[in-house]
Amino acid sequence: MSFITSYCRISKDKCSVNGKNILLINSDSELEWIKQLYKSLQIDYPKFYKMDVLSKLAFIGTELIKKNSDFNFYTDDDVALVFANRHSSGDTDLKFNNSYQQELMPSPALFVYTLPNILIGEIAIRNKWHGENLFTVAREFDATFFQNYCNILLSKNSQACVCGWIDAMEDNLEAFLFFVEVSDTSKLNLPFTSKIVANLYKA
Amino acid sequence: MKIFIGAENAITPLGNSVEENFQSLCDGVSGIRLYKNAGFNKEDVYLSKTSFDTEHLFQTLLENCLEGLKSRIDTSIIKSPKTILILSTTKADVQNHLVDAIEISTAKLKEQLELFQPPIVVCNACTSGLQAINLAADFITAGLYEHAIVVGCDVISDFILYGFQSLFAISNEPCKPFSEHRKGLTLGEACAVVVLSKSEAVYQQTPMQYIAGSSSNDANHISGPSRTGEGLYRSVVKTLAAAQMNSNDIDFISAHGTATVYNDEMESIAFDRLAMNNIPLNSFKGYFGHTLGAAGVLETVICMQSLRKNLLIKSMGYTEPGTSKALDLLIENKHTDVNTILKTASGFGGANASLIISKR
Repeated sequence: MSFITSYCRISKDKCSVNGKNILLINSDSELEWIKQLYKSLQIDYPKFYKMDVLSKLAFIGTELIKKNSDFNFYTDDDVALVFANRHSSGDTDLKFNNSYQQELMPSPALFVYTLPNILIGEIAIRNKWHGENLFTVAREFDATFFQNYCNILLSKNSQACVCGWIDAMEDNLEAFLFFVEVSDTSKLNLPFTSKIVANLYKA
Repeated sequence: MKIFIGAENAITPLGNSVEENFQSLCDGVSGIRLYKNAGFNKEDVYLSKTSFDTEHLFQTLLENCLEGLKSRIDTSIIKSPKTILILSTTKADVQNHLVDAIEISTAKLKEQLELFQPPIVVCNACTSGLQAINLAADFITAGLYEHAIVVGCDVISDFILYGFQSLFAISNEPCKPFSEHRKGLTLGEACAVVVLSKSEAVYQQTPMQYIAGSSSNDANHISGPSRTGEGLYRSVVKTLAAAQMNSNDIDFISAHGTATVYNDEMESIAFDRLAMNNIPLNSFKGYFGHTLGAAGVLETVICMQSLRKNLLIKSMGYTEPGTSKALDLLIENKHTDVNTILKTASGFGGANASLIISKR
């Protein structure tokens, strides 16, 4: 048995952790929404500004999960990163395509983000996590896949999984992250089943 | 439980079946040619390109490769609810469908093959192929499926070529993995397929055994390899442990070997840390170029042919040692008992993966 010990949702205008809103978009702010979120974390990580939107969402989501869970139990091999989305790196693909078709200057800074698993790399770098990694692309969020694959990882070398569905395409963005541990270190009482994961995603 | 792996097939510039491909490799033929004015600034570029005359190359390669699979397995498993198809790709048909390439391709595959469930797509940079095979084995071990068809495919597009050119990663001569004077990678395109199953009976030809696999992240840089080979080292350690093997059990290493200066150096450091300096090793990139999301499947497929034929293939393009740690590069084809192979891959996002396959 394993448990969801924290989870986080980011949409176009709000961000919640464990089901409670923690930030709403301030439409009067000069900062775009994703930078408002970053400021609210009160951390200094200049690399954030170089990231594409997928990596920014994954970074913020993971930082919020970390604030609400205890990672001190784990070695640098223990935490698996399992992510998925619908549009792969489509948002950055459009921008990179534009860099050579319109601006006639293929941008290396954009090209390196034209793979969705770069967001896993960004989280791994930030946290010095060397564990298992997987990025898959699917038409829709598949709670059963996450349940099946995380249980496999937990039965092998991994002790915990940071999971997420992180999608972005032009103005649309969506992030849902959840942390799976073998013991229920939280007071959430959320057994890790596909039904519960699907409900948290829909909520 | 034993996990079988077999029914391998591949379509590349070197052949339309795995047998044709392996024969080309035995004969020392490379698929890399010079293409005039192909680059972003109309430079001539070395590429390993197929010769299909179609605008829909990605789908054509997939269809032909999977058609070629049908004579290698009990075809009733394709539509079975107990079968999952896993596609490994980085960009699918990005040339024709900038945004929804993967979704369009998987929908077509499901319809054409009458698959029971939608394919799973692994999109994890250049380790995708190995991770797709590892995922297939994990699913079967866990009892979620009985069979898995793993297909890797990527094609050369302006998008990918201009991107790698912008990173100054493309060699101005055919790539020379692990060589002193290597100048970067050569892009390639290919489609390769392999079937994993808990049942030996689904194969027309004797299958081999999938032993173990794993992934690990460098946690170092999104587009540059680790200086210590950290992720690759950790992945191979995990894979060996899961296989209950040590480096003496490995007869051959099919390395990633992209022929960029830093990648090949990183691999030499990792294999040195693993005390694997004396295991015969090659890179297949000198024959096929770097086929990205197809590479892990394609190179595993060729390793399986080496296992079947007891023949190791020389590392094309290798001339003199070019890494700080010594490796046992294959400079000639070698007839020898090959029982167990280690396949590794590394990619952007700090990704590293490895797997072990044995004859039984």
